[in-house]
Amino acid sequence: MKINKRAKREAEQLFRLCLVNRGLDENRVRHVVQRVVAADRRDSPAILSHFWRLVKLDVARHTATIESVTVVPADVQAAIEAGLMRRYGPRVTTIFAYRPALIAGVRIQVGSDVYDGSVQARLTALQKSF
Amino acid sequence: MRPEGILATFGVDWSHLLAQVISFGIVCVILYRFAYRPVLVMLEARRQQIALGLANAEQITAELARTEAQRQEVMVQANAQANTLIDQARAAAARVREQQTQKAIAAAEQITISAREAAARDHDRMLAELKREVGRLVVEATAAVTGKILTSEDQRRLAEETARRVAA
Repeated sequence: MKINKRAKREAEQLFRLCLVNRGLDENRVRHVVQRVVAADRRDSPAILSHFWRLVKLDVARHTATIESVTVVPADVQAAIEAGLMRRYGPRVTTIFAYRPALIAGVRIQVGSDVYDGSVQARLTALQKSF
Repeated sequence: MRPEGILATFGVDWSHLLAQVISFGIVCVILYRFAYRPVLVMLEARRQQIALGLANAEQITAELARTEAQRQEVMVQANAQANTLIDQARAAAARVREQQTQKAIAAAEQITISAREAAARDHDRMLAELKREVGRLVVEATAAVTGKILTSEDQRRLAEETARRVAA
C-alpha cells in the first residue's frame, strides 16, 4: 500500500495523541482506530497502516525478549529486568522465551538493541574469525 | 738541219696541229669538268669519310675504355655497397635476435612471476578455506558438546554476564 505524506503526517499526529506520560495508552490507541475506521475516509487504510507501524515500533522499543536455553534463576531475572528498566525506562515489559539453538547463555533484544551472551553467538564470532 | 726541214720531215701541218691542240684542249676541259672533278670530289669525300671513320673509331675506342673504367668503378662501388648492406643486414639481424632474446627472457620471467603469484594466491585461498573448514568443524564440535558439558552453574554465570552487560 502506498502511503502519502499527508497520511503519514496524520498518523504521526494520531500516534502523539495516544502518548500519555511518554507512554502509549492502549485505550487511546483503540479509540483512535475506531474513530478512523468510523470516519471511512478514502485514506483511512493508509493512515491506519502507518499508525499500526508506529505502534508496533513503540511496542518493540519497550518490549525486551529474553531468550535462554534453561530457566533463568529468579535473582538473575530480577537483575536483568532492573538493568533494562534503568536503561529503557519503567515501561519496558519483559518476555522470556526458550530457545535451544543458543546452546547456553542468554540473548536479550529490545527494539533493535541486542545483548547476546549466548554460546551460539560466541561460536559464530569464532567461526567468522577463521 | 733547219727546223722547217725537220717539221716537214715529220709531216707537221700547223693548221692540223692547231686544230688537234684545240680539240685536245676541249677534250681536256670536258674531261676535267665532267669526269676528273667529280671523281676528285668523290675521292675527297671518301677520304674525309675515311678520316671521319677513323676519328670515330678512335673516339669509340676511347669511349669504350672510359666506359670500361666506369663499369669497373661502378662494380667496385656496387661491391662496396653490397658489402656494406650485408654488414648492415648482419648487424640488424644480430640486433633483432638480441631484442627477441630479451623479449623471450622477459616473457619467461613474467610467466614465472605470474605462476608464482597464482601459486601464492592458490596457497592463500586453500589456507583460508582450510581455516574456515577447521573453524566450522571446531564450532560444530564445540556446539555439539558444549550444551552437554555445561553445568547449571555455568549457565547461571553466563546469564549473569549478560545481566551485567545490560546493567553497564
